[in-house]
Amino acid sequence: MSRQWSDVSRRELIVGAVSVGVAAPLLVYSKTPKRQKAQVVVVGGGYGGVTTAKYLKKENPNLDVVLIEERPFFMSCPMSNHFLSGLMELTQLCFPYNVLEVKYGVRVVNDKVLGVEVDRKVVRTSSGYIGYDYLVLSPGIDYDIEDRPFYRDSLVYNPPAFKPGSEHIYLKRLIEDFEGGDIVITVPPPPYRCPPAPYERAALIASMIKRNKLKAHMYFIDANERPVINSEGFLSAYYDLYRDIATYITSAQVKDIDVRKRVVKTTHGDFKYDLANIIPPMKASRLLEESDLLKKGQKWAEVNPLTFESHVKNVFVIGDASQSYLPKSGYAAHSEGKLVAKIINARIKGKEVKEEYLQMICYAMVSDKEAIMVETSFRYDGISKRFIPTHREDNQRKESTAKRYEEWAKGLWRDLFG
Amino acid sequence: MDRRGFIKTCGTMAVASLIDPSLFSQALAQQQDGMFQAYKKAILVKSDGTPLKEEDIKPQVNYIFFYPHAATPCYLINLGETVPPAEIKLKDGKSYRWMGGVGAKKSIVSYSAICAHQWSYPTPQYSFINYYPPDKPSDTTKKGGIIQCCAHLALYDPKQGGSVIDGPSDFPLASVVLQEEGGKFYAVGILGKDQFQQFFDTYRTELRQQYGTTANARELVDKCVVMEVDKYVQAVVRC
Repeated sequence: MSRQWSDVSRRELIVGAVSVGVAAPLLVYSKTPKRQKAQVVVVGGGYGGVTTAKYLKKENPNLDVVLIEERPFFMSCPMSNHFLSGLMELTQLCFPYNVLEVKYGVRVVNDKVLGVEVDRKVVRTSSGYIGYDYLVLSPGIDYDIEDRPFYRDSLVYNPPAFKPGSEHIYLKRLIEDFEGGDIVITVPPPPYRCPPAPYERAALIASMIKRNKLKAHMYFIDANERPVINSEGFLSAYYDLYRDIATYITSAQVKDIDVRKRVVKTTHGDFKYDLANIIPPMKASRLLEESDLLKKGQKWAEVNPLTFESHVKNVFVIGDASQSYLPKSGYAAHSEGKLVAKIINARIKGKEVKEEYLQMICYAMVSDKEAIMVETSFRYDGISKRFIPTHREDNQRKESTAKRYEEWAKGLWRDLFG
Repeated sequence: MDRRGFIKTCGTMAVASLIDPSLFSQALAQQQDGMFQAYKKAILVKSDGTPLKEEDIKPQVNYIFFYPHAATPCYLINLGETVPPAEIKLKDGKSYRWMGGVGAKKSIVSYSAICAHQWSYPTPQYSFINYYPPDKPSDTTKKGGIIQCCAHLALYDPKQGGSVIDGPSDFPLASVVLQEEGGKFYAVGILGKDQFQQFFDTYRTELRQQYGTTANARELVDKCVVMEVDKYVQAVVRC
């Protein structure tokens, strides 16, 4: 600022102070003129977006990268069931975006993206336009409830806690306030974010009932025939550890929810509840619809499976929002982010990335001490020109796997924000 | 100092430099595309403080010591067979020549125990990165004779300079350059892409708790106590 303090009149100073007070959460905007341009714009500050932005700059420090995220700080969904069941503090899941700017030089813009105009190569935000040469969209999921309006109230009363933030904090309060009675947890049909998460959550809440010696019964209502992943590990844990306090109901669809009478109506009967975690079906963030990257009726964005590029050149969609052979998970989004960063950096140098490796590795608690895990690695095969998967599940519940789980998450956080 | 004394001292220094590892280190640095970093020469010793000898390094046992900093863990393994040198190529195009095993059988190798993927390392509580002997392979990957990190299944080959065999790591493990002199072993530097900066940045709080201050954790050592990893770590997590 060129003007000295001595030049500022008392009146200006007071007005200034008030504006600073009002504008405090928007300070980042002051760096953001109404129109600006970046070589790469990354939309979404989750696992996919943060990884992409960081690796773009790490590999090419001269690149101009903007990351746009509306949340003021990062909160991890992986490990959030630990928080919900009292095994971890919320602060352990939260990280500041500052480090991306301070350490790697990513320009982080705290703003809401309203749409993308791919023909003009601009991202429209609530405070202006940002042009780009390359665009990476990692906007995550929305709940797919348009055809199922009965979910609307439930989102408020019984938050799904599959989007980071308030939902988790409110659900945690409901869980803490629960003193006994009936619990209902529902699982939507796939694809949804983090396949083992509902099964882990059911196990951890059941484990908590036992730990606190509550007089309670859990009705775990699954739209699927069996757990969609690690089914052997989950089923044996449910049977061995929780069969006296929980009933697992499979292939049951939610038909209606009455949040006032506290009843979930399903194809397998009505269930009254004192505590409910109703997880609705999911689809890609509606930002993609508004950006013409989803065709009518499509739930997830189609991408080139080798590059995660959408039908628009140099516009990539990664993470849970894309239709991919990888499951929808933070770790998969992290793998995809690294790949897309390499592809963009190579393209800028006039090269193409040839061979790559993608990995998805997930853990799930089945009690407050033991966990199971799954790993799928995908290696590009130059002959068949596709990624060949190798799938491994360890369904034997172990305390050592629970320790690995914690280290797995901490490793990711070190990579993203270390 | 008189003229005669000065000349005598210079002569002694010249002779001494012939066996000084720093000269060896300089030569190594020139050949290695900037991938070798010489550190303080440190003798490897047993818990009782006496120098570690070849017969003390049992084949297929995972030993730990700390080098070049007081807090940076390294593994020492006698692979039980001659390990020839190898050319290590990095994804960024750089390459370096790993010098193979040391000792009478050229079977003793040493690597940084900081996983090059996301920096998991052996702490007094847990070690997720470990050596799996050929007769005790990993339950998950079924591979033996490897160094594997159980957090994200990064696999490294101790016979090939710590190269990545499988998993998500972009880089090999950095290797510790060992020299044997008169039956004693010395660490003289680190070859490859070390992860020390990231390690000290990431674990500032943990290291301060363990070592009192960051400076203590960063201190360069001239003596390394070598012990079996399960004597240092409470729970060796294998997978």
